[in-house]
Amino acid sequence: MILNSLEMMFGGQAGDGSLTTGDLIAGVFKRMGLEVYTYKDFPSRIRGGHTNYVIRASEQRNYGMADAVDSLVAFDLEAVQAHIDEMRPGGFVVFDNTSETVDGALRRSDVTWYDIPLAKIAKEELGLELVRNTISLGVLAALVGMDAGIVRADVTAVYQRKGEKVVDLNLRAIAAGEAYVREHYAGVPSGYALRAKPDGDRLIMMGNDAIAYGALVAGCRFMAGYPITPATDILEWMSKQLPKFGGVVVQAEDELAAITMTLGAAFTGVRAMTATSGPGQALMTEAIGLAGVLEIPVVVVECARTGPSTGMPTKTEQSNLNHLIYSGHGEIPRVILAPGTIEESFTLTTAAFNLADRWQLPVFVLTEQALCQSKATLAPFDLDAVEIDRGELIADGELTFGEYKRFAFTADGVSPRAIPGVYGGMHLAAGSEHNDAGVITENAANRARMMEKRMGKLEAMRDELPRAILHGVADADIAIVGYGANTGPIREAVDRLAAEKIPVRFLQLRTLWPFPEDDVRVFVHGAHHVFVVENNFTGQLERLIRAVTGPIDALRGLRKYDGRPFHPIEIIAPIRGIAAVGESVEVR
Amino acid sequence: MAMLTAKDFATATPSWWCPGCGDYGVLSALKSALAELGKQPHEVAFVSGIGCSGKISGYLHSYAFHGVHGRALPVATAVKLANRDLTVIAAGGDGDGYAIGAGHFVHAVRRNPDITYIVMDNQTYGLTKGQASPTSATGYVASVSPEGNPDNPINGLALGLAAGATFVARGFSAQPKQLVQIIRAAIEHRGCSIVEVMSPCVTYNKINTYAWFKEHIEDAALRDDHRPSERTAAFDALTREGKIPLGIIYQEERPTLEERTHLPQVPIAKHDLHGDRGRYAALLEHYR
Repeated sequence: MILNSLEMMFGGQAGDGSLTTGDLIAGVFKRMGLEVYTYKDFPSRIRGGHTNYVIRASEQRNYGMADAVDSLVAFDLEAVQAHIDEMRPGGFVVFDNTSETVDGALRRSDVTWYDIPLAKIAKEELGLELVRNTISLGVLAALVGMDAGIVRADVTAVYQRKGEKVVDLNLRAIAAGEAYVREHYAGVPSGYALRAKPDGDRLIMMGNDAIAYGALVAGCRFMAGYPITPATDILEWMSKQLPKFGGVVVQAEDELAAITMTLGAAFTGVRAMTATSGPGQALMTEAIGLAGVLEIPVVVVECARTGPSTGMPTKTEQSNLNHLIYSGHGEIPRVILAPGTIEESFTLTTAAFNLADRWQLPVFVLTEQALCQSKATLAPFDLDAVEIDRGELIADGELTFGEYKRFAFTADGVSPRAIPGVYGGMHLAAGSEHNDAGVITENAANRARMMEKRMGKLEAMRDELPRAILHGVADADIAIVGYGANTGPIREAVDRLAAEKIPVRFLQLRTLWPFPEDDVRVFVHGAHHVFVVENNFTGQLERLIRAVTGPIDALRGLRKYDGRPFHPIEIIAPIRGIAAVGESVEVR
Repeated sequence: MAMLTAKDFATATPSWWCPGCGDYGVLSALKSALAELGKQPHEVAFVSGIGCSGKISGYLHSYAFHGVHGRALPVATAVKLANRDLTVIAAGGDGDGYAIGAGHFVHAVRRNPDITYIVMDNQTYGLTKGQASPTSATGYVASVSPEGNPDNPINGLALGLAAGATFVARGFSAQPKQLVQIIRAAIEHRGCSIVEVMSPCVTYNKINTYAWFKEHIEDAALRDDHRPSERTAAFDALTREGKIPLGIIYQEERPTLEERTHLPQVPIAKHDLHGDRGRYAALLEHYR
């Protein structure tokens, strides 16, 4: 019997309700006091197409998926075909056998099968096929011991909006599921059991929620965006909340409008942001350059998905790093922050607004589908730790008429900023090269000085940037560098390797640009093996590291580009391999 | 504050426009209109794109934003949302506004923010040396259309009206008195006002010259059937064969974007960002 450790997958057709049921179960597990992580794998279509939802619950904090799933709830044969190989021996399958059967090799004998005609029960006993998801909830409750009180309370809460009848129907569906297991599978244990513990003061939240919430708390009061997967959640969240806080959200006509609106609002003194994904980011490139030359503070959230072009809209990838670093003609200073957890999605977003204001430049928050659309349990955010630093913003009454120079040369490159409406601050914010007063000029000396002023910010700001975090055994011979959504699987791999007496250290980069050269150089130095873990084909991060370290044999890429996040074993296996072939692995 | 004159809206920046350019007339009328309306330079936010028309932001003493080609309107819309106390004016050319910026034009107009958009129409691409623009006549011979422009010219004002514009007017840069009146009315109009100004390019457009316009324009207000409150009549005025109508072609009152988005009366740019901690904390209840 495996206690309080379960990775469960719901699989069916998009629109079947797997996602809703998955969310519901994640909530139940959380309220049972377990640590929860969820991952959505859904197709880019509204109805139909295989979709699945993975929920991991355990005693210790999870930052990613496990290597294999313990249980599969398959609403159709396709779900079994697609995922039976991902099942852990000893696991169990709940299969809706209303109209299909599973046989042959697909019917693995090392897992327990619960064939239950969910749709049939739904239709015949409850009169509505739609509730088969809820029946499956009752089945699971009976099989793994989900807390009945919590299940019923959560189902009631979720369906309350739809009225008492719907609540009642769903409660009866749960009971029907439980009853079926009692009647037909009384002596067939699932092998898993969950025991409720005190929930404690915890949250369960999606990465995109944490980013949006962080933006609000940081004082963002303007957002313009264009719907795009997987960033749309942020636009939706802000649309709901910003007006309540005196702010405004615009659904722009395209990404060019979304980013230029963001620039307009930021120019006028409002903390402003937009959120997009690869294809939208490509369209925003032009205005990012403008933000750089106008020295306007804007925050751009990029929720990366697979590319190129439209790629796979609902799948994860880390292939836009180069684009964020290098996009645009000409050269501008920019900052790229990459949260590795949902907590950091919050903290780094608040940091992004301060950095943008303080240094008057575009700041990107780079995240990926695997992080931004995943949920996890976490401690409530520390709101007292959030500071709002507007940088050098000139207040009304501080200027004497006729003396103001918007782009004044200063030691750190930051010029005090007057926003429209401030007396005496009139100036031209010119996208063409300009002098310190904002007048367009092609003067050679001025041009060189302006470039030095703007680009110099990147050096001047280094001490204020979020530092990389060192995980694992600090002086281990084997090292890993990674960022973003891979932080979770890498941390788990490091922990599990430590349990196998293979010490590993992991440098989680949180600022990707300006590239943290010093941290990386120090970290890589002396390691016999440095694995650079990233979700792309060309090794974009690895190339940045090579640029810092020069030719180095220790570096090797560990890359995955099938649109899915790493499982810990995919990081563990190659490292184990090195240890197994007798290469020295030692702690110094 | 003391009443200002047009000169108070002038910058010392030397102009990069050609001598005789129609854009001088637009700039001059704009400055006069702002002074007559009693605006203060720091209360005006002026946004332009690029091209000859885009340069105008450098010559107007106010808060000015010289952005990228065709995107003045999204910027101006957001400036207004960020600080509704500002007088927000955007300017662009026929290429800037009706080619690269055509999408933004239609959408800004349908949103109806309380901003003024001035399109300086010279019917050619001046700064890139005279190619056909969206308003160039069919057959217009230029470097990229040596056999004559194959495309039909766009009717910007009719397009704006179709998109739901609440103020549509046309002026001529060589008729300054009328232009000042039109721009004043446009700024005073509550909603998105479009002012198209015929602004001849003396260097590249040898057809649509000052003399040509004088022959081809008429004051709409002088026509018996001119009724600026009727949309169908306005369409008719803008699309019928014959002379080019000048003046306020159409005007209606409709809720602005600021009203429809329930924007607070105090400009967002002036909000205190520190006071909401309790309300922030309350939002987390949803995630427990």
